[in-house]
Amino acid sequence: MKILRVLAPALVLAVLLSGCTGGGDDQVTLNVYNWGEYIDEDILATFTEETGIAVNYDTYATNEDMYAKLKSGGVSYDIAIPSDYMVQRMIDEDMLETLDPDNIPNLQYIFGWLKELEYDPGCVYSVPYMWGTLGILYNTDLVDDPVDSWNILWDEKYSGQIFMYNSQRDSFAVALKKLGYSLNTRDLTELEAAKAELILQAPLVRAYLGDTVRDSMIGNEAALAVVYSGDAIYCIENNPALAYAVPREGSNVWCDAVVIPKGSLHKAEAEKFIDFLCRTDISLKNTEYIGYSTVNTQTFDLLPAEMREDPAYWPGEDIFRICEVFVDLGSFLKEYDRAWTEVLASK
Amino acid sequence: MSEHLIDLVGVCKTFGQSTVLSNINLFVRKNEFLTLLGPSGCGKTTTLRIIGGFEYPTNGDVIFDGKSILKLPPHKRRVNTVFQKYALFPNMNAAENIAFGLRIKKVPSQEITRRVEDMLRLVNLRGYGRRAVTSLSGGQQQRVAIARALINEPDVLLLDEPLGALDLKLRKDMQIELKNMQQKLGITFIYVTHDQEEALTMSDTIAVMNAGEIQQIGKPEDIYNEPGNAFVANFIGESNIVAGVMRGDYCVEFLGRRFECVDKGFKPDEPVDVVVRPEDVRIVPQSEGALTGVVRNVIFKGVHYEMLIQGGEFLWKAHSTVMSAAGGWVGIVVAPDLIHVMRKVAT
Amino acid sequence: MLPYLLWALLFIIVPILLIIYYSLCVETDSGLVFSLQNYSRVFQPIYLRIMWRSVALAFMCTLFCLVMGYPVAYIMASKEYARKGFLLFLFLVPMWMNFLLRTYSWLTILERNGIINSVLSVFGLPNIDLLYNEEAVILGMIYNFLPFMILPIYTVLKKMDQSVIEAAQDLGADSRTVFLRVTVPLSMPGVISGVTMVFMPAVTTFIVSDLLGGAQFMLIGNLIEQQFLKIRDWNFGSAVSVILMTLIIASVAIFSMVDKDSEGGALF
Repeated sequence: MKILRVLAPALVLAVLLSGCTGGGDDQVTLNVYNWGEYIDEDILATFTEETGIAVNYDTYATNEDMYAKLKSGGVSYDIAIPSDYMVQRMIDEDMLETLDPDNIPNLQYIFGWLKELEYDPGCVYSVPYMWGTLGILYNTDLVDDPVDSWNILWDEKYSGQIFMYNSQRDSFAVALKKLGYSLNTRDLTELEAAKAELILQAPLVRAYLGDTVRDSMIGNEAALAVVYSGDAIYCIENNPALAYAVPREGSNVWCDAVVIPKGSLHKAEAEKFIDFLCRTDISLKNTEYIGYSTVNTQTFDLLPAEMREDPAYWPGEDIFRICEVFVDLGSFLKEYDRAWTEVLASK
Repeated sequence: MSEHLIDLVGVCKTFGQSTVLSNINLFVRKNEFLTLLGPSGCGKTTTLRIIGGFEYPTNGDVIFDGKSILKLPPHKRRVNTVFQKYALFPNMNAAENIAFGLRIKKVPSQEITRRVEDMLRLVNLRGYGRRAVTSLSGGQQQRVAIARALINEPDVLLLDEPLGALDLKLRKDMQIELKNMQQKLGITFIYVTHDQEEALTMSDTIAVMNAGEIQQIGKPEDIYNEPGNAFVANFIGESNIVAGVMRGDYCVEFLGRRFECVDKGFKPDEPVDVVVRPEDVRIVPQSEGALTGVVRNVIFKGVHYEMLIQGGEFLWKAHSTVMSAAGGWVGIVVAPDLIHVMRKVAT
Repeated sequence: MLPYLLWALLFIIVPILLIIYYSLCVETDSGLVFSLQNYSRVFQPIYLRIMWRSVALAFMCTLFCLVMGYPVAYIMASKEYARKGFLLFLFLVPMWMNFLLRTYSWLTILERNGIINSVLSVFGLPNIDLLYNEEAVILGMIYNFLPFMILPIYTVLKKMDQSVIEAAQDLGADSRTVFLRVTVPLSMPGVISGVTMVFMPAVTTFIVSDLLGGAQFMLIGNLIEQQFLKIRDWNFGSAVSVILMTLIIASVAIFSMVDKDSEGGALF
């Protein structure tokens, strides 16, 4: 009990003092909400050094978690980094502030095509943060055929050696692209055709995985897997026998973007932060730490040649042109759900 | 020794460090009602359980009808037990409980029904067959337990303080019933109790036990009238125990006076315990008494008055139907044959 | 009484009413409209198949847990067994760990290059595919729920009056008969609770089928999770949840009818 008597006031003191960030009075603190393991934390310290603005950093595991938290209005965040389809939903639901491009001069370094993506053309509400593709991660020891088409995932030769993604949009994207359709289709016949393909594939699929696909591929558990480019980079780092390819039929391009939720009290400072992230040297540091593709043209040029030519970083101009971003399908999503349920239930 | 049904030879039992039974030698005759009598912890229940097969002696042998049954498990011995807390099967009704032993022996059900009916009649529970045992009163449960044991026609019935949980009137009635049953059925009963009156009422033979040893075995009258040592004297009936010295044959000295008595064979001046039953203490006018004293207390006990008389350093307990008022001086006289002299118990 | 009523109202009644309300509505362009469409959808063959599979898997899991758990509980409760405190400890400690973590650990054991197959390789034996099949899902379920079967049975066996056992022996029953005629019937309340405490979580689980089944065995839990987290069709999700709740309440009602005196030592 005596220990409590000493601990309690010490704890109270610690809590009180933690509020103080040192430096001048009236110090602004930004509440930043990001994915876990998705920033080089040194950058935050550098930002505070240069601008005097402190950063309160919080993380989430999925877009849905972030959405639920922001919707509930409990804490006000100044910066959030949702994925493309989630940005679109938040725009539709009027949850975001519009950005003042004058405050974000470093926007000029962002790839032009990234600024015109369907979910927010012109970067009215968001600025790209990291991007990547969806493709095939394969084990060069176990696969001797060329990996350049989605068809390889339907090849009986690899029965039991294929991992698909446990996600409707992603798995249907693969099937739709294989058939030459848009992965945002609202055409029921196209959807049904894709469903038929997936049902055909089901006996060959070893499992439909989530995050565990990375460790499994590193552990040589299967020959082929559908993964995102960022995960592919991580896997290849840990198992040099792995390689990544984006099929010639095209695929999904995803983009995580920085936004300012409505209700932020420090919009100007938030925009400063966004501008900071777009700075070439910062973007380089971040890309090296996270491993995903950079949004900054100058940063891209600074990367070593093998990285620039690795399909995980850049799928090549031709393939890139036929990639699509996911668009929120609204109530039509129910059809995807029904179809996906039928695929899974077919086993 | 075919007259002996059961022989316990040199039975010892230790639990870890403590010795519960030391060198028990005991025999039981056919059709005998033997009671093991003693205070809590004296080892009587353990002795019973050894006969039943639920405890294994550390040393010694158990002989049944001339053969050692030491290695026989309980379900093979021709004894049945009535447990202290009845131990009825809660998931069966009264009739099923009683029938249990017969069902195990695969007796045909016609016969089972008939014999169960007979038993229920014997223990005065006709018509109670279908009742759930949990709905029966203590006395009724007791009788079901007895019926359950007797229906198997054992050679020996072991009863472990079966009447302890019943009220006084019921207990007395059951004592008489049990005795009658025993005599009618001609079964050997081995009965365990700490109630000396119960033992005196029901038994053919009593074995008095204390601290794991047998103090005295004999007929009730013998034990009562000729207690072998101070413990027995104290335990059975009430007694006044005075320290005395044997001055020679037929002469004992205590409280400063010599008295004639009927015991002999002691060493000259041997220290002894002198026992006088309260009902043998005759109260006379002060002048006529061999000893004198003041009446400290008078308690009306219904059957008699109990008076506590301070005679010198000794407090006498006297029973009489005539009351002597408290505070008055009286005289005490004891007839020679009512003075019991016994050796001091070796410590 | 009042504080409990308030608490129950707020935290139990209101949420359930909300779910029922959602299940009876359908989202249209003009907002929520009353409709039984969700329920009629639930009864489509594809969803019925999912529910049947969930019940069947849960049943298998419960059966295995019973067959494996009873002997363990029996051994632990018998007084001759000296190390029972330690054994009990071994069973309880994993329960303190996160359910998800425990399930993850099986991946490492069952993988193609996992622990079991590595050991087999050392002996030159062929590798077996132990993961991403129905067997792996049942294994994961059994592993996670076995303590819930063992504990109630153990508790009841431990509390059992020893003298009843001795009475049975005294009346001529050998060990086998004692076990079948006395121990088992008297341990029924514990068995009932164990079955309840295993069946209920087993029928609603979704993590095990996702992780160890490779999402190939869609169960009710997966279906509901999908509706609420990915599809945002709360109405259909609520309808499925209501069906599930009804299923569970029905099974609990049946179980509690058998265990009238609540001697089972159940947690709920």
